[in-house]
Amino acid sequence: MAEKKRYAMVIDVRRCIACHACTVACKAEMSVPLEVNTTWLKIVEKGTYPDTRRFWIPRLCNNCNDAICARNCPTQATYKREDGIVMVDQHRCIGCKYCIASCPYDVRYINPLKNIVQKCYFCSHRVDAGLMPACVESCPTRAMVFGDKNDSKSEVAQLLAANATVVIKKEMQTDPQVFYISADETAMSNIEEDINYYTEGAITKIRF
Amino acid sequence: MEHGDVNVIYSVEHQLPLVMYIGQYFFFTGLSAGSFVISVIATLLGRKEFKPIGKITAILAPALLVIAPINLILDLEQPLRFWHLFLYYNWTSPITYGSFLLTAYPIIGTIYAVMVYTNRQNAAKILGILGIPLAISVHGYTGFILALAKARALWNTAAMPTIFLVSAMVSGIGLVVIIAAVRWKWFDKKATPVQREGDKRLILQLAQFMAYVIMMDLFLVLSDILVLLTAHADAFEAGMLILTGNFAPLFVGVEIILGSIVPMILVLGPKSRKSLTAAVVASILVNIGVYAMRFVMVIGGQTIPLS
Repeated sequence: MAEKKRYAMVIDVRRCIACHACTVACKAEMSVPLEVNTTWLKIVEKGTYPDTRRFWIPRLCNNCNDAICARNCPTQATYKREDGIVMVDQHRCIGCKYCIASCPYDVRYINPLKNIVQKCYFCSHRVDAGLMPACVESCPTRAMVFGDKNDSKSEVAQLLAANATVVIKKEMQTDPQVFYISADETAMSNIEEDINYYTEGAITKIRF
Repeated sequence: MEHGDVNVIYSVEHQLPLVMYIGQYFFFTGLSAGSFVISVIATLLGRKEFKPIGKITAILAPALLVIAPINLILDLEQPLRFWHLFLYYNWTSPITYGSFLLTAYPIIGTIYAVMVYTNRQNAAKILGILGIPLAISVHGYTGFILALAKARALWNTAAMPTIFLVSAMVSGIGLVVIIAAVRWKWFDKKATPVQREGDKRLILQLAQFMAYVIMMDLFLVLSDILVLLTAHADAFEAGMLILTGNFAPLFVGVEIILGSIVPMILVLGPKSRKSLTAAVVASILVNIGVYAMRFVMVIGGQTIPLS
């Protein structure tokens, strides 16, 4: 009976008010340096005035079941825990950045202070101590819910059972474990025909 | 115009992970693999007039493969931890294949070069036959590095290892033509006029062989582009990026026109096919084109936003 634990997150975008509390909480909890983000909010604006509307989704590492980063890591620095959280061993990582190149979600980054690759670990240190991840704890509208997907009594399992959920880029065959309720398709996808980027493009960030 | 105007107000894009060190590494391993294959062909055929080319390329292959991994180590964020690659290997990662191939191949290559220079023909032949699969996989695996990083639409194609191998042959032959021509011009004064004429003909033949490999390369690139343009949205975006987008000048201008079509005309054209200068100019252009191809692939493949 007792199935293995599988931590997952459900984000109800209907409840999200785009307050960026998760971004700030994550920055503080994980000591994320400037220029990089572990959790952030993607905001898109659709339509032309006066028929416009903003859509957004909170973004973080999907801690995929079939993580391409763990498969491609040449030193096994990226590995999957028993409970499904994908970790990076910061003493083993050599910074070859192949995991960043293979990740379809752009959630990995080089920590400019430690010179290794980092990502979201669902706050594994807090989870191990019986606490919720920092973003979940800080969410004022309880839009983010975290827990054991395989425990049918958990809120995550019940939300998953009762709602239509989607994941980002299902076609990548990575089995993401962050599920969204009522997320907008444009906010989830990376490519749109007439998209205008107001953010700093990646091309300007090449370092030599 | 499914949604009308779509503006991304805020999103996070992290910096490009792989920079031109990786492209340069691909370029140097390509040159090395290409020249090794030429050298082994010359050794196996065993004809006297091929000897000089066989010797030049035998020394080029391991020498270039000493330069190549330096780029890799410089690219690491923690260069002093490179030994983790051997201690904590992961067999599902193409980089692990590479770290072992990059150790074995220069060793075989160096022993092979010693055998060629000491005129031990049989040993050289055996080592050459053993070395060819190594040379092919040492460069072919770099194609797998890109192809298995499934996030990037421009890389994630089964044609990638073959494209890399064929372009490596092109650039390798180009380098051999340049070096053989320099040797013919300034360092080959002792040879008789008949020998010199034969050497020149050999260099021109090599250049023509290069033109045929360029044709194969162009065919592979064409099939890659055709599939990109008809596959899913990301792939279409990648195809348009190199055909009409930011990387079009480098891809269409430098890689295709300057690096493939112009050299082909120079080498096969009725007026310039007898000229050694044309062959050398074509070889230089080909190498510029292949270097541009590595740039377009490595950097261009990463510029399409993922989130």
